[in-house]
Amino acid sequence: MGRRRLIVVGKVLLLLVIAVALQTLIVSRVSVLGVTADLFLIFTVVVAMGRGSMEGAIFGFFAGLIADVAFFQPLGVRALIYVLAGYFVGMFVARFGMMTPWGVLFLAGGTSFVAQFVFGLFQYIMGPQADFLTMVGTQMLPEAILDALIAVPVYALLVRLRVIRAPGVSPATGRSGAE
Amino acid sequence: MVRNEVVWRRLVFVVLIIASLAILTVSFRESESGPVHAVQQAGLSLLSPLQSWGARAAEPFQDGYGWIRTLWSAHQEVERLAAELQELQGEAVKLKEQAEENQRLKSLLDLRDKATFPEGTDFEVARVTGKSPTRWEAWIQIDKGSADGIRVDQPVVGATPTAGESLAGKGLVGKVTAVTAHSAQVQLITDSESSVAAKIQGPRAEGIVEGSVSGTLTMDFVDRDIPDVEPKLVVVTSGFGGIYPPAIPIGIVAEVGEEDVNIYKKIEVQAFVDFRVLEEVMVLILPGA
Repeated sequence: MGRRRLIVVGKVLLLLVIAVALQTLIVSRVSVLGVTADLFLIFTVVVAMGRGSMEGAIFGFFAGLIADVAFFQPLGVRALIYVLAGYFVGMFVARFGMMTPWGVLFLAGGTSFVAQFVFGLFQYIMGPQADFLTMVGTQMLPEAILDALIAVPVYALLVRLRVIRAPGVSPATGRSGAE
Repeated sequence: MVRNEVVWRRLVFVVLIIASLAILTVSFRESESGPVHAVQQAGLSLLSPLQSWGARAAEPFQDGYGWIRTLWSAHQEVERLAAELQELQGEAVKLKEQAEENQRLKSLLDLRDKATFPEGTDFEVARVTGKSPTRWEAWIQIDKGSADGIRVDQPVVGATPTAGESLAGKGLVGKVTAVTAHSAQVQLITDSESSVAAKIQGPRAEGIVEGSVSGTLTMDFVDRDIPDVEPKLVVVTSGFGGIYPPAIPIGIVAEVGEEDVNIYKKIEVQAFVDFRVLEEVMVLILPGA
Protein backbone atom coordinates (compact mmCIF):
# COMPACT_ATOMS: atom_id res chain seq x y z
CA MET A 1 0.00 0.00 0.00
CA GLY A 2 1.48 3.34 -1.08
CA ARG A 3 2.05 6.24 1.24
CA ARG A 4 -0.71 8.26 -0.44
CA ARG A 5 -3.15 5.38 0.05
CA LEU A 6 -2.19 5.07 3.73
CA ILE A 7 -2.84 8.76 4.28
CA VAL A 8 -6.29 8.43 2.68
CA VAL A 9 -7.16 5.42 4.88
CA GLY A 10 -5.91 7.29 7.95
CA LYS A 11 -8.04 10.33 7.13
CA VAL A 12 -11.14 8.20 6.60
CA LEU A 13 -10.51 6.30 9.85
CA LEU A 14 -10.11 9.61 11.67
CA LEU A 15 -13.39 10.72 10.14
CA LEU A 16 -15.07 7.61 11.52
CA VAL A 17 -13.72 8.29 15.01
CA ILE A 18 -14.89 11.91 14.79
CA ALA A 19 -18.34 10.73 13.66
CA VAL A 20 -18.59 8.40 16.66
CA ALA A 21 -17.44 11.08 19.08
CA LEU A 22 -19.71 13.81 17.72
CA GLN A 23 -22.76 11.55 17.43
CA THR A 24 -22.48 10.09 20.93
CA LEU A 25 -21.29 13.22 22.72
CA ILE A 26 -23.29 15.99 21.08
CA VAL A 27 -25.63 15.18 18.20
CA SER A 28 -27.64 12.45 19.92
CA ARG A 29 -28.43 14.90 22.73
CA VAL A 30 -29.68 17.68 20.46
CA SER A 31 -33.18 17.32 19.10
CA VAL A 32 -34.35 19.60 16.28
CA LEU A 33 -37.92 19.35 14.93
CA GLY A 34 -38.31 16.34 17.22
CA VAL A 35 -35.54 14.34 15.55
CA THR A 36 -31.78 13.96 15.89
CA ALA A 37 -29.35 14.10 12.99
CA ASP A 38 -27.56 10.96 11.85
CA LEU A 39 -23.89 11.89 11.49
CA PHE A 40 -22.94 8.35 10.50
CA LEU A 41 -25.14 8.63 7.41
CA ILE A 42 -24.09 12.22 6.70
CA PHE A 43 -20.40 11.29 6.82
CA THR A 44 -21.07 8.24 4.62
CA VAL A 45 -22.76 10.45 2.02
CA VAL A 46 -20.01 13.04 2.20
CA VAL A 47 -17.24 10.42 1.88
CA ALA A 48 -19.05 8.86 -1.07
CA MET A 49 -19.36 12.28 -2.72
CA GLY A 50 -15.72 13.10 -2.21
CA ARG A 51 -13.98 9.76 -2.58
CA GLY A 52 -16.22 7.62 -4.74
CA SER A 53 -18.59 4.69 -4.51
CA MET A 54 -16.16 2.05 -3.21
CA GLU A 55 -14.81 4.20 -0.40
CA GLY A 56 -18.35 5.36 0.36
CA ALA A 57 -19.58 1.78 0.62
CA ILE A 58 -16.66 0.69 2.82
CA PHE A 59 -17.06 3.72 5.08
CA GLY A 60 -20.81 3.11 5.18
CA PHE A 61 -20.30 -0.51 6.21
CA PHE A 62 -18.15 0.34 9.23
CA ALA A 63 -20.15 3.47 10.12
CA GLY A 64 -23.32 1.36 9.95
CA LEU A 65 -21.90 -1.30 12.24
CA ILE A 66 -20.92 1.33 14.80
CA ALA A 67 -24.35 2.99 14.45
CA ASP A 68 -26.02 -0.38 15.06
CA VAL A 69 -24.04 -0.73 18.28
CA ALA A 70 -24.66 2.85 19.40
CA PHE A 71 -28.40 2.77 18.56
CA PHE A 72 -29.10 -0.71 20.00
CA GLN A 73 -30.11 -2.07 16.58
CA PRO A 74 -29.63 -5.67 15.43
CA LEU A 75 -26.08 -5.68 14.04
CA GLY A 76 -26.06 -5.31 10.25
CA VAL A 77 -29.24 -3.30 9.64
CA ARG A 78 -27.69 0.12 9.26
CA ALA A 79 -24.50 -1.42 7.85
CA LEU A 80 -26.53 -2.74 4.92
CA ILE A 81 -28.41 0.54 4.41
CA TYR A 82 -25.26 2.68 4.60
CA VAL A 83 -23.34 0.40 2.21
CA LEU A 84 -26.11 0.91 -0.33
CA ALA A 85 -26.22 4.65 0.42
CA GLY A 86 -22.44 5.05 0.09
CA TYR A 87 -22.23 3.04 -3.10
CA PHE A 88 -25.12 4.67 -4.95
CA VAL A 89 -24.25 8.23 -3.86
CA GLY A 90 -20.70 7.62 -5.13
CA MET A 91 -22.05 6.27 -8.42
CA PHE A 92 -24.46 9.18 -8.77
CA VAL A 93 -21.79 11.79 -8.16
CA ALA A 94 -19.34 10.08 -10.50
CA ARG A 95 -21.92 10.05 -13.25
CA PHE A 96 -23.56 13.47 -12.84
CA GLY A 97 -21.20 15.53 -10.66
CA MET A 98 -22.34 17.26 -7.46
CA MET A 99 -20.25 20.35 -6.98
CA THR A 100 -22.81 22.95 -5.89
CA PRO A 101 -24.08 23.41 -2.33
CA TRP A 102 -27.63 22.85 -3.61
CA GLY A 103 -26.55 19.57 -5.16
CA VAL A 104 -25.00 18.43 -1.88
CA LEU A 105 -28.12 19.56 -0.01
CA PHE A 106 -30.56 17.66 -2.21
CA LEU A 107 -28.42 14.56 -2.56
CA ALA A 108 -27.83 14.32 1.21
CA GLY A 109 -31.49 15.02 1.96
CA GLY A 110 -32.69 12.54 -0.64
CA THR A 111 -30.31 9.85 0.55
CA SER A 112 -31.35 10.41 4.17
CA PHE A 113 -35.01 10.15 3.20
CA VAL A 114 -34.51 6.94 1.20
CA ALA A 115 -32.30 5.45 3.95
CA GLN A 116 -34.97 6.19 6.54
CA PHE A 117 -37.64 4.76 4.28
CA VAL A 118 -35.70 1.49 4.01
CA PHE A 119 -35.03 1.55 7.76
CA GLY A 120 -38.74 2.23 8.36
CA LEU A 121 -39.64 -0.67 6.09
CA PHE A 122 -37.38 -2.88 8.17
CA GLN A 123 -38.98 -1.63 11.39
CA TYR A 124 -42.43 -2.19 9.91
CA ILE A 125 -41.55 -5.79 9.03
CA MET A 126 -40.00 -6.42 12.44
CA GLY A 127 -42.81 -5.07 14.62
CA PRO A 128 -43.61 -1.39 15.25
CA GLN A 129 -46.40 -0.33 12.92
CA ALA A 130 -47.32 3.23 12.17
CA ASP A 131 -49.20 5.31 9.67
CA PHE A 132 -46.87 5.92 6.72
CA LEU A 133 -47.78 9.58 6.23
CA THR A 134 -47.41 10.26 9.96
CA MET A 135 -43.90 8.84 9.94
CA VAL A 136 -43.05 10.81 6.79
CA GLY A 137 -44.18 14.01 8.50
CA THR A 138 -42.74 13.43 11.95
CA GLN A 139 -39.60 11.41 11.30
CA MET A 140 -38.44 10.96 7.71
CA LEU A 141 -38.91 14.47 6.34
CA PRO A 142 -37.60 16.43 9.38
CA GLU A 143 -34.53 14.20 9.65
CA ALA A 144 -33.90 14.36 5.90
CA ILE A 145 -34.00 18.18 6.10
CA LEU A 146 -31.78 18.23 9.19
CA ASP A 147 -29.28 15.79 7.67
CA ALA A 148 -29.22 17.81 4.43
CA LEU A 149 -28.60 21.09 6.25
CA ILE A 150 -25.76 19.58 8.25
CA ALA A 151 -24.24 17.79 5.23
CA VAL A 152 -23.53 21.04 3.36
CA PRO A 153 -21.16 22.65 5.91
CA VAL A 154 -19.64 19.24 6.74
CA TYR A 155 -18.92 18.67 3.04
CA ALA A 156 -17.51 22.16 2.58
CA LEU A 157 -15.32 21.83 5.68
CA LEU A 158 -13.93 18.44 4.69
CA VAL A 159 -13.16 19.64 1.16
CA ARG A 160 -11.47 22.74 2.61
CA LEU A 161 -9.44 20.57 5.00
CA ARG A 162 -8.62 18.28 2.06
CA VAL A 163 -9.96 15.25 3.88
CA ILE A 164 -12.03 14.60 0.78
CA ARG A 165 -11.69 16.01 -2.68
CA ALA A 166 -14.30 17.80 -4.77
CA PRO A 167 -16.15 15.24 -6.91
CA GLY A 168 -15.11 14.63 -10.50
CA VAL A 169 -11.41 15.05 -9.76
CA SER A 170 -9.12 12.09 -9.24
CA PRO A 171 -5.61 13.21 -8.19
CA ALA A 172 -4.04 9.97 -9.39
CA THR A 173 -5.72 9.43 -12.74
CA GLY A 174 -7.71 12.56 -13.44
CA ARG A 175 -10.71 10.36 -14.18
CA SER A 176 -14.14 10.84 -12.72
CA GLY A 177 -14.54 7.24 -11.66
CA ALA A 178 -17.84 6.81 -13.47
CA GLU A 179 -18.58 3.28 -14.70
CA MET B 1 -7.12 -0.63 -16.20
CA VAL B 2 -10.45 1.19 -15.94
CA ARG B 3 -12.25 -2.11 -16.53
CA ASN B 4 -10.31 -3.73 -13.64
CA GLU B 5 -11.17 -0.82 -11.38
CA VAL B 6 -14.87 -1.18 -12.16
CA VAL B 7 -14.80 -4.94 -11.52
CA TRP B 8 -12.89 -4.42 -8.28
CA ARG B 9 -15.37 -1.77 -7.11
CA ARG B 10 -18.36 -4.00 -7.84
CA LEU B 11 -16.68 -6.92 -6.11
CA VAL B 12 -16.10 -4.88 -2.95
CA PHE B 13 -19.72 -3.69 -3.04
CA VAL B 14 -21.06 -7.25 -3.36
CA VAL B 15 -18.76 -8.48 -0.57
CA LEU B 16 -19.96 -5.69 1.75
CA ILE B 17 -23.61 -6.43 0.98
CA ILE B 18 -23.08 -10.15 1.66
CA ALA B 19 -21.17 -9.34 4.87
CA SER B 20 -23.99 -7.05 6.07
CA LEU B 21 -26.65 -9.64 5.30
CA ALA B 22 -24.60 -12.38 6.96
CA ILE B 23 -24.11 -10.33 10.13
CA LEU B 24 -27.79 -9.39 10.14
CA THR B 25 -28.87 -13.00 9.70
CA VAL B 26 -26.56 -14.28 12.42
CA SER B 27 -27.65 -11.41 14.68
CA PHE B 28 -31.27 -12.52 14.41
CA ARG B 29 -30.76 -16.25 14.50
CA GLU B 30 -28.23 -16.66 17.29
CA SER B 31 -29.04 -16.57 20.99
CA GLU B 32 -28.40 -13.55 23.23
CA SER B 33 -25.07 -15.10 24.23
CA GLY B 34 -23.90 -15.63 20.65
CA PRO B 35 -20.72 -14.12 19.18
CA VAL B 36 -22.38 -11.24 17.27
CA HIS B 37 -24.30 -10.17 20.37
CA ALA B 38 -21.07 -10.48 22.36
CA VAL B 39 -19.35 -8.13 19.89
CA GLN B 40 -22.26 -5.71 20.15
CA GLN B 41 -22.17 -5.86 23.96
CA ALA B 42 -18.43 -5.21 23.90
CA GLY B 43 -18.96 -2.26 21.55
CA LEU B 44 -21.64 -0.87 23.82
CA SER B 45 -19.36 -1.25 26.82
CA LEU B 46 -16.79 0.82 24.96
CA LEU B 47 -19.29 3.49 23.94
CA SER B 48 -21.26 3.77 27.18
CA PRO B 49 -18.51 5.52 29.20
CA LEU B 50 -18.19 7.99 26.33
CA GLN B 51 -21.94 8.61 26.35
CA SER B 52 -22.00 8.86 30.13
CA TRP B 53 -19.18 11.38 30.07
CA GLY B 54 -20.94 13.25 27.26
CA ALA B 55 -24.13 13.42 29.27
CA ARG B 56 -22.30 14.97 32.21
CA ALA B 57 -20.29 17.35 30.03
CA ALA B 58 -23.37 18.47 28.09
CA GLU B 59 -25.48 19.22 31.16
CA PRO B 60 -24.18 22.76 31.82
CA PHE B 61 -24.49 23.60 28.13
CA GLN B 62 -28.03 22.24 27.94
CA ASP B 63 -28.94 24.13 31.06
CA GLY B 64 -27.35 27.26 29.63
CA TYR B 65 -29.29 26.78 26.41
CA GLY B 66 -32.53 26.30 28.35
CA TRP B 67 -31.77 29.34 30.46
CA ILE B 68 -31.21 31.56 27.42
CA ARG B 69 -34.34 30.25 25.71
CA THR B 70 -36.72 30.66 28.63
CA LEU B 71 -35.42 34.01 29.74
CA TRP B 72 -35.09 35.51 26.28
CA SER B 73 -38.22 37.66 26.47
CA ALA B 74 -37.42 38.85 29.98
CA HIS B 75 -33.86 39.47 28.91
CA GLN B 76 -35.04 42.00 26.35
CA GLU B 77 -37.20 43.86 28.89
CA VAL B 78 -34.47 44.18 31.46
CA GLU B 79 -31.68 45.03 29.11
CA ARG B 80 -29.87 47.14 31.64
CA LEU B 81 -29.30 44.03 33.72
CA ALA B 82 -27.74 42.15 30.83
CA ALA B 83 -24.15 42.94 31.74
CA GLU B 84 -24.64 41.87 35.31
CA LEU B 85 -26.46 38.74 34.22
CA GLN B 86 -23.61 37.90 31.86
CA GLU B 87 -21.18 37.99 34.78
CA LEU B 88 -23.41 35.90 36.98
CA GLN B 89 -24.50 33.51 34.28
CA GLY B 90 -21.74 30.99 34.76
CA GLU B 91 -22.31 30.82 38.51
CA ALA B 92 -26.09 30.82 38.14
CA VAL B 93 -26.04 28.00 35.62
CA LYS B 94 -23.95 25.89 37.95
CA LEU B 95 -26.13 26.59 41.00
CA LYS B 96 -29.36 26.13 39.06
CA GLU B 97 -28.11 22.83 37.70
CA GLN B 98 -27.32 21.62 41.21
CA ALA B 99 -30.68 22.80 42.53
CA GLU B 100 -32.58 21.10 39.71
CA GLU B 101 -30.63 17.91 40.17
CA ASN B 102 -31.45 18.01 43.89
CA GLN B 103 -35.10 18.59 43.08
CA ARG B 104 -35.18 15.68 40.65
CA LEU B 105 -33.48 13.35 43.11
CA LYS B 106 -35.83 14.56 45.86
CA SER B 107 -38.75 13.74 43.58
CA LEU B 108 -37.38 10.25 43.08
CA LEU B 109 -37.03 9.79 46.83
CA ASP B 110 -40.55 11.15 47.26
CA LEU B 111 -41.82 8.59 44.76
CA ARG B 112 -39.96 5.84 46.59
CA ASP B 113 -41.52 6.86 49.90
CA LYS B 114 -45.08 7.55 48.73
CA ALA B 115 -45.68 4.81 46.18
CA THR B 116 -46.28 1.31 47.48
CA PHE B 117 -43.51 -0.93 46.27
CA PRO B 118 -43.14 -4.54 47.46
CA GLU B 119 -41.35 -4.84 50.78
CA GLY B 120 -37.63 -5.37 50.41
CA THR B 121 -37.42 -3.56 47.06
CA ASP B 122 -34.03 -1.96 46.41
CA PHE B 123 -33.72 1.21 44.34
CA GLU B 124 -30.87 2.07 41.98
CA VAL B 125 -30.82 5.67 40.80
CA ALA B 126 -29.39 6.03 37.28
CA ARG B 127 -28.67 8.90 34.95
CA VAL B 128 -30.15 8.94 31.44
CA THR B 129 -27.25 8.95 28.98
CA GLY B 130 -28.98 8.38 25.64
CA LYS B 131 -32.32 8.18 23.89
CA SER B 132 -33.70 6.33 20.88
CA PRO B 133 -32.73 8.18 17.71
CA THR B 134 -36.01 7.59 15.86
CA ARG B 135 -39.72 7.59 16.67
CA TRP B 136 -40.00 3.95 15.65
CA GLU B 137 -38.78 2.97 19.10
CA ALA B 138 -38.95 4.62 22.50
CA TRP B 139 -36.07 3.75 24.81
CA ILE B 140 -33.48 5.40 26.97
CA GLN B 141 -29.98 4.37 27.92
CA ILE B 142 -28.90 4.63 31.55
CA ASP B 143 -25.47 4.65 33.16
CA LYS B 144 -26.01 1.67 35.46
CA GLY B 145 -25.58 -1.94 34.41
CA SER B 146 -25.13 -5.48 35.61
CA ALA B 147 -22.26 -4.38 37.86
CA ASP B 148 -24.83 -2.33 39.81
CA GLY B 149 -27.33 -5.16 40.07
CA ILE B 150 -29.39 -4.20 37.03
CA ARG B 151 -31.04 -7.10 35.20
CA VAL B 152 -33.32 -7.48 32.21
CA ASP B 153 -37.07 -7.00 32.92
CA GLN B 154 -36.56 -4.91 36.06
CA PRO B 155 -39.16 -2.10 36.26
CA VAL B 156 -38.02 1.50 36.03
CA VAL B 157 -39.75 4.54 37.54
CA GLY B 158 -38.96 8.22 37.25
CA ALA B 159 -39.85 11.76 38.13
CA THR B 160 -39.88 14.81 35.90
CA PRO B 161 -39.73 18.53 36.77
CA THR B 162 -43.54 18.89 36.84
CA ALA B 163 -43.49 16.70 39.94
CA GLY B 164 -44.67 18.41 43.09
CA GLU B 165 -45.54 16.92 46.45
CA SER B 166 -48.28 14.77 44.91
CA LEU B 167 -47.56 11.86 42.60
CA ALA B 168 -48.11 13.99 39.51
CA GLY B 169 -45.00 13.87 37.38
CA LYS B 170 -43.80 10.70 39.03
CA GLY B 171 -44.54 7.21 37.82
CA LEU B 172 -43.72 4.24 35.67
CA VAL B 173 -41.08 4.74 32.99
CA GLY B 174 -40.64 1.23 31.56
CA LYS B 175 -38.53 -1.85 31.97
CA VAL B 176 -34.91 -2.86 31.40
CA THR B 177 -34.52 -4.70 28.08
CA ALA B 178 -30.74 -4.99 27.65
CA VAL B 179 -27.83 -4.77 30.06
CA THR B 180 -24.07 -4.38 29.77
CA ALA B 181 -21.66 -4.07 32.68
CA HIS B 182 -22.10 -0.31 33.10
CA SER B 183 -25.13 0.61 31.04
CA ALA B 184 -28.62 -0.61 30.29
CA GLN B 185 -31.38 -0.01 27.80
CA VAL B 186 -34.83 0.80 29.16
CA GLN B 187 -37.89 0.31 26.97
CA LEU B 188 -40.33 3.16 27.71
CA ILE B 189 -44.01 2.41 28.23
CA THR B 190 -44.68 4.62 25.20
CA ASP B 191 -42.79 2.18 22.94
CA SER B 192 -45.12 0.54 20.44
CA GLU B 193 -43.96 -2.89 21.63
CA SER B 194 -44.68 -2.11 25.30
CA SER B 195 -47.73 -3.42 27.15
CA VAL B 196 -48.41 -3.03 30.87
CA ALA B 197 -51.16 -4.76 32.83
CA ALA B 198 -53.01 -1.91 34.55
CA LYS B 199 -56.16 -0.95 36.39
CA ILE B 200 -58.07 2.25 36.94
CA GLN B 201 -58.42 3.38 40.54
CA GLY B 202 -62.05 3.80 41.55
CA PRO B 203 -63.98 1.49 39.24
CA ARG B 204 -61.02 -0.97 39.44
CA ALA B 205 -61.35 -1.63 35.72
CA GLU B 206 -58.49 -3.74 34.40
CA GLY B 207 -56.83 -3.57 31.01
CA ILE B 208 -53.56 -3.30 29.16
CA VAL B 209 -51.74 0.01 28.69
CA GLU B 210 -50.02 0.01 25.32
CA GLY B 211 -47.59 2.44 23.74
CA SER B 212 -47.55 3.58 20.14
CA VAL B 213 -45.17 5.05 17.58
CA SER B 214 -46.88 8.43 18.03
CA GLY B 215 -45.96 8.37 21.75
CA THR B 216 -49.53 8.17 23.07
CA LEU B 217 -50.65 5.63 25.68
CA THR B 218 -53.84 3.65 25.19
CA MET B 219 -55.53 1.41 27.72
CA ASP B 220 -57.22 -1.43 25.89
CA PHE B 221 -59.27 -4.49 26.87
CA VAL B 222 -61.33 -2.59 29.45
CA ASP B 223 -64.80 -4.10 29.51
CA ARG B 224 -67.46 -1.77 28.09
CA ASP B 225 -69.91 -2.71 30.80
CA ILE B 226 -67.79 -1.32 33.63
CA PRO B 227 -69.41 1.97 34.69
CA ASP B 228 -67.88 5.20 36.01
CA VAL B 229 -64.69 5.09 33.94
CA GLU B 230 -64.13 8.79 33.54
CA PRO B 231 -61.35 11.23 32.74
CA LYS B 232 -58.98 12.25 35.57
CA LEU B 233 -59.05 8.83 37.22
CA VAL B 234 -55.63 7.45 38.07
CA VAL B 235 -54.22 4.43 36.19
CA VAL B 236 -51.81 2.17 38.08
CA THR B 237 -50.10 -1.14 37.37
CA SER B 238 -52.19 -4.17 38.29
CA GLY B 239 -49.24 -6.48 38.89
CA PHE B 240 -50.66 -9.20 36.68
CA GLY B 241 -47.99 -9.11 33.98
CA GLY B 242 -45.32 -10.54 36.25
CA ILE B 243 -42.82 -7.77 35.52
CA TYR B 244 -44.31 -4.68 37.12
CA PRO B 245 -45.40 -4.84 40.78
CA PRO B 246 -48.90 -3.55 41.53
CA ALA B 247 -49.86 0.05 42.34
CA ILE B 248 -47.13 1.90 40.47
CA PRO B 249 -48.76 5.07 39.10
CA ILE B 250 -48.80 5.24 35.29
CA GLY B 251 -50.97 8.24 34.47
CA ILE B 252 -54.51 9.55 34.37
CA VAL B 253 -57.43 8.77 32.10
CA ALA B 254 -57.47 11.51 29.46
CA GLU B 255 -60.31 10.33 27.25
CA VAL B 256 -62.76 7.43 27.22
CA GLY B 257 -64.05 6.16 23.89
CA GLU B 258 -66.55 3.49 22.98
CA GLU B 259 -67.35 2.02 19.59
CA ASP B 260 -70.45 0.03 18.73
CA VAL B 261 -68.37 -2.72 17.13
CA ASN B 262 -65.90 -3.04 19.98
CA ILE B 263 -66.63 -4.91 23.21
CA TYR B 264 -63.91 -2.95 24.99
CA LYS B 265 -63.56 0.69 25.89
CA LYS B 266 -60.73 2.59 24.23
CA ILE B 267 -59.08 4.75 26.88
CA GLU B 268 -56.40 7.31 26.22
CA VAL B 269 -53.98 7.65 29.13
CA GLN B 270 -51.87 10.71 29.89
CA ALA B 271 -48.60 9.49 31.44
CA PHE B 272 -47.47 11.10 34.69
CA VAL B 273 -43.88 11.16 33.51
CA ASP B 274 -42.84 13.57 30.79
CA PHE B 275 -40.46 11.31 28.85
CA ARG B 276 -39.00 14.20 26.85
CA VAL B 277 -37.25 15.70 29.87
CA LEU B 278 -36.30 12.58 31.79
CA GLU B 279 -32.79 12.91 33.25
CA GLU B 280 -32.68 10.48 36.16
CA VAL B 281 -34.62 7.29 36.77
CA MET B 282 -34.86 4.67 39.49
CA VAL B 283 -34.57 0.97 38.70
CA LEU B 284 -36.58 -1.26 41.05
CA ILE B 285 -34.60 -4.27 42.20
CA LEU B 286 -37.44 -6.43 43.46
CA PRO B 287 -36.89 -8.94 46.27
CA GLY B 288 -36.08 -12.41 44.99
CA ALA B 289 -35.36 -11.12 41.49
